[in-house]
Amino acid sequence: MKSLTINHLSKTYFDPYAAKHVTAVQDVSLDVPEGEFVAIVGPSGCGKTTILNMIAGFLPASGGDIIVDSRKVSGPGPDRGVVFQSHALFPWKTVLENVAFGPKMRGVGLKEREEIARDYLALAGLSHAAERYPNELSGGMQQRVGVVRALANEPAVLLMDEPFASVDAQTRMTLQEELTRIWQARRPTILFITHDVPEAVFLANRVVVLSKGRVLEEVEIDLPRPRSWDAMMDDERFKTLSARVLQLVRAA
Amino acid sequence: MSEAVAVNPALRLWSGYLRLVARHPVIGSVVPFLPLIALWAIVVEAGVFPRAFFPGPVDVFHSFVDLTRKGILPAYLADSIVRLAVGAAAGMVAGILLGLLVGLNERAHRALWPVLLFFQAIGDIAWLPLLIIWFGFGLETMTFVIVYTVLFPVVLNTVLGVRSIPLDLHRAAQSLGAPRWRILTEVVLPGALPNIITGLRNGLGYGWRALIAAEMIVGTSGVGFMMFDARRAGSVVEILLGMIILGLLWYAVDALILAPIERATGQRWGMVAR
Amino acid sequence: MSALAQVDAKPSMAWKRLRSALYFVFPLLCLVFIWEFTVRIFSVHPGVFPGVGAVLKAGAESIANGSLFLHIGASLARVLVGTILAVLVGVPLGILMGVSPGVSTILTPLFRFFSVLAGIAWIPIATLWFGYGFGAITFVIFNAVFFVVAYNTLLGVASIPPQLRNAAWSLGANRWDMLKEVLLPGALPNIVTGIRTGLGFAWRGLIAAEMIATNLGLGYMLFLARDFYRTELIVFGMIVIGILWLLIDRLVLAPLERRTIERWGLVR
Repeated sequence: MKSLTINHLSKTYFDPYAAKHVTAVQDVSLDVPEGEFVAIVGPSGCGKTTILNMIAGFLPASGGDIIVDSRKVSGPGPDRGVVFQSHALFPWKTVLENVAFGPKMRGVGLKEREEIARDYLALAGLSHAAERYPNELSGGMQQRVGVVRALANEPAVLLMDEPFASVDAQTRMTLQEELTRIWQARRPTILFITHDVPEAVFLANRVVVLSKGRVLEEVEIDLPRPRSWDAMMDDERFKTLSARVLQLVRAA
Repeated sequence: MSEAVAVNPALRLWSGYLRLVARHPVIGSVVPFLPLIALWAIVVEAGVFPRAFFPGPVDVFHSFVDLTRKGILPAYLADSIVRLAVGAAAGMVAGILLGLLVGLNERAHRALWPVLLFFQAIGDIAWLPLLIIWFGFGLETMTFVIVYTVLFPVVLNTVLGVRSIPLDLHRAAQSLGAPRWRILTEVVLPGALPNIITGLRNGLGYGWRALIAAEMIVGTSGVGFMMFDARRAGSVVEILLGMIILGLLWYAVDALILAPIERATGQRWGMVAR
Repeated sequence: MSALAQVDAKPSMAWKRLRSALYFVFPLLCLVFIWEFTVRIFSVHPGVFPGVGAVLKAGAESIANGSLFLHIGASLARVLVGTILAVLVGVPLGILMGVSPGVSTILTPLFRFFSVLAGIAWIPIATLWFGYGFGAITFVIFNAVFFVVAYNTLLGVASIPPQLRNAAWSLGANRWDMLKEVLLPGALPNIVTGIRTGLGFAWRGLIAAEMIATNLGLGYMLFLARDFYRTELIVFGMIVIGILWLLIDRLVLAPLERRTIERWGLVR
């Protein structure tokens, strides 16, 4: 089962400058079934990035457990692909080498892994950029490569940490539409972190509103797919759902 | 604006020069020396200083031809370059390894960082008296000095480079399934490479000077020895020749080795400003 | 949690400083122990490497008879005079060169050439021109700092965004204001970096020059001790040289650089 389950997850840490213990995440339980797209929204400081870092294995949890693909998480691993806000592409590798990195770590031969990488680049319409270095790409392109790199490693779950937060508004909309398209084509299991309410509603099947380290409410998004911004702009249901989530976030 | 405004011929010459330099950067770093050399020649010909005290470019060129024909200059030059190359290679390998250890391991950093700073502060040349007692006026002394000089800038810059790699790159590699030693070869080494090269550049800069000093003080051959020997004999021509050769040699090292590496790595990757 | 907060109040600045100083000194103390230990265990001959006690004794002697301070004084005086002269000449020259793109196109390669040669390579000719002693050594230090500082100043001025200069013009600055308010502060981080780099070369040049061309100074002290195989005095001198440079670099140059670069956010 390529699903993600979180049981009573919590995180407290000691802040040496404030000289006190801080609770960042408190008793969060969440279930992301195989092939589902779940978004977590909340204001900054609500603990959403901490949750993602624990699932990714970058931070140890203080309590509770995380189960991915029927296995308990301890430390980072290739079963959880991560897309970073800072794109985190290796500057010294070409786009192709970046995308082929995961397969390379699995021990896939040169020819085969380049084939895999080219397939995934074609999926995102990036074939022409294969030989370029990340710093030669626009911000939007860099983010696309970041998504493709994580997908090409065929993780059980894809974790996305505000991946579109630092690109311009037009590019962001295009990237969001592309992500929904890729999700429909491949049906990966995705946990998406964002503070942008319309983005969460547009992308996900379910939106989890987080506040002060706790789950405030979960909202089902039953909008039809394929989704496009042109259609959503005038969609009453989209507006109602967005307004509802926004209310929850602002009340948080 | 369609009327043709007469362009000052000097300006036209200048813009022609700028365009030429843009196309062939080498010209831009050669031409400025011509007026300087001319000025030098004029001052010498005018006889402001006694000629033995301040010889002209022609004299220096003659001595260059003379020493090359006798085979002294090529032999000394080869000695200096071989010493520098061997010392720099050894210093670089040791420096990178030590730098990785200190950069990656917090305990090693705590224990070794002050020690490294202190030994760097002592400086290579201050070791010479002790080295002469240990090894005498020989190759070991000079090799030690160069390895020592190259080592510290490489270590310190490698540490800096290792520590400046964004955390997200480590995390990305981990979540793509890279085991620890692969992170070392795929993330840490390439990520620190621009800094390592900076360290090498600084190290060679210092190492070069240290070699000259060592050759002056303990040497029996090499460009530094040639210059100091000339000083004993009062031959200013050969001193000037030595200085010019040192400068040119650094240009060659920079243009043929360091700059191409920098263009192919850090600059290409957008990690350092061009 | 509130109790915790009260007990574990913010550590004071002084305590933090003290702690980081201890972190710095402790490994060096360990090194001294290892040194003494090694010398004793392997009974190293004092002619090869001295023990800690012998070095301390040599140090105490040279302090007691005043010779240490004579040498340090001579070395520092040379560094100070050479550096001040170099900065006084190098900075204005660098600014003048940097203001005009044409002049900097021509002069940049020349200054690169001479900053490569800076320092030690000038020792032979400096001793010929000035004879052994203060003049020759100060000259070596002067040109080690001068070329690097002038070259860095030029780079600094050239890197000031043209909008800043235009802004100053349109706010009514005259040439002198421009120099004082825009060019000098704008180039300051580069100037300070230049001084730090140049002094690094100068310090080494100083030690080398003093070994060759004088009868006073730290380099001479070391070289003289070598003639008598007094390793304990050599090692003491090396430690003094190391500490002096650390003090100059950490207490004067690094804070200066940090203050100009970080305060203004003018990161490289």
